[in-house]
Amino acid sequence: MDCCEFRERYSDFADGLLEDEAELRARRHLSLCASCRRFHAAFRTGVTALRDLPSVEVSRSFGERLRRRIRHELVVRGLAVDPLSGAVAATLVMVTIGLVAWDLAELRSANRAASAMAVSAMPPALRAPAATPIHRDTIRILLEGFHPFDPVLLVADTNPAQDTNPARFDVPAVWGGR
Amino acid sequence: MTLAATHSLRATRPGPASSFAELDDARLVQAFLDGQSRAFDELVGRYQARLLNFIYRTIGDRERAEDLVQEVFIRIYRHLHRFDQTKKFSTWAYTIASNLAKNELRNRSRNPLVLFQALRKNWEADHRPIQFEDFNSRPDDMFHKRHLRTLVEQSVERLPEHHRVVFVLRELEGKTYEEIADITGCNLGTVKSRLNRARNSFAAIIAPHLD
Repeated sequence: MDCCEFRERYSDFADGLLEDEAELRARRHLSLCASCRRFHAAFRTGVTALRDLPSVEVSRSFGERLRRRIRHELVVRGLAVDPLSGAVAATLVMVTIGLVAWDLAELRSANRAASAMAVSAMPPALRAPAATPIHRDTIRILLEGFHPFDPVLLVADTNPAQDTNPARFDVPAVWGGR
Repeated sequence: MTLAATHSLRATRPGPASSFAELDDARLVQAFLDGQSRAFDELVGRYQARLLNFIYRTIGDRERAEDLVQEVFIRIYRHLHRFDQTKKFSTWAYTIASNLAKNELRNRSRNPLVLFQALRKNWEADHRPIQFEDFNSRPDDMFHKRHLRTLVEQSVERLPEHHRVVFVLRELEGKTYEEIADITGCNLGTVKSRLNRARNSFAAIIAPHLD
């Protein structure tokens, strides 16, 4: 056996799979060839060192991560509902509804406060007496200057029979009032 | 997969864990398919470290190897109902692991960022302070040991991908040629030829450093 054949059949030699006769020839070659001896020794030393390498262990979180992934897999396939994500979803919906309701209430009270502030900032002469109804004739007088022939839109809201306001203003005939 | 099996890794039927430990792989697979999801826990426990070491020695990245082992178990979980129970479960698990490792190596060879990270990792390993693990050994022995470890790890990493998988399966996992042929999907002749080339390359890389 020469070096070339030895290297070609080296795997079988290393595993002890050569037939008896080939095994003998390989061993004879090995005893005579320094290069192949060196090669064989390097392989043996290398493999021994490789097998002596410390084995790695899975991390502590491995099992939990795998469980999570399998749960996710099942949820995706619709075979199971993840109780945690269900609870989270329900909580989120409740919180959203609460926030919207709270926001609306806040908005309403803020509007009220803003209009109160705007009114109080006005000079007293411009403030409308919020609680005092404007007399229909006052409105009519104010508007008839612009629309003298058609104040109908503004007088239809009150009943003259109920009109007991002492601040009643009688329209002079010269203004064209009726 | 039955609905009972959906309560992942949690028992759907009470049963002592030790009873699963006594079952062989084939019976564990059957138990899982019958709805006993704890049987899957046992399979994970049996194979997680072996698959991690196999993938780690193949791709050389510990964290990524763990991610890939997770992927192996997800695929097993997903497809266990289609597993041919006349075959060995371990061969199937290693086949999935081997395919994922090969894909990873291919993706890495195309991704410059991963190459950079590998280079940086090697640089960091070269520049970290020497750790004295064994106080009974002489410093030059420890240095030699550590040098040899690094050398063999690098030698494995330098093997071509399809040689490396066969080499690790044979030398570290102790698989037979037939099992390696099943795992890699190659015929026996190819396995023998690849293994011989891998062994020759491995010895050739190491030999100059051992003088």
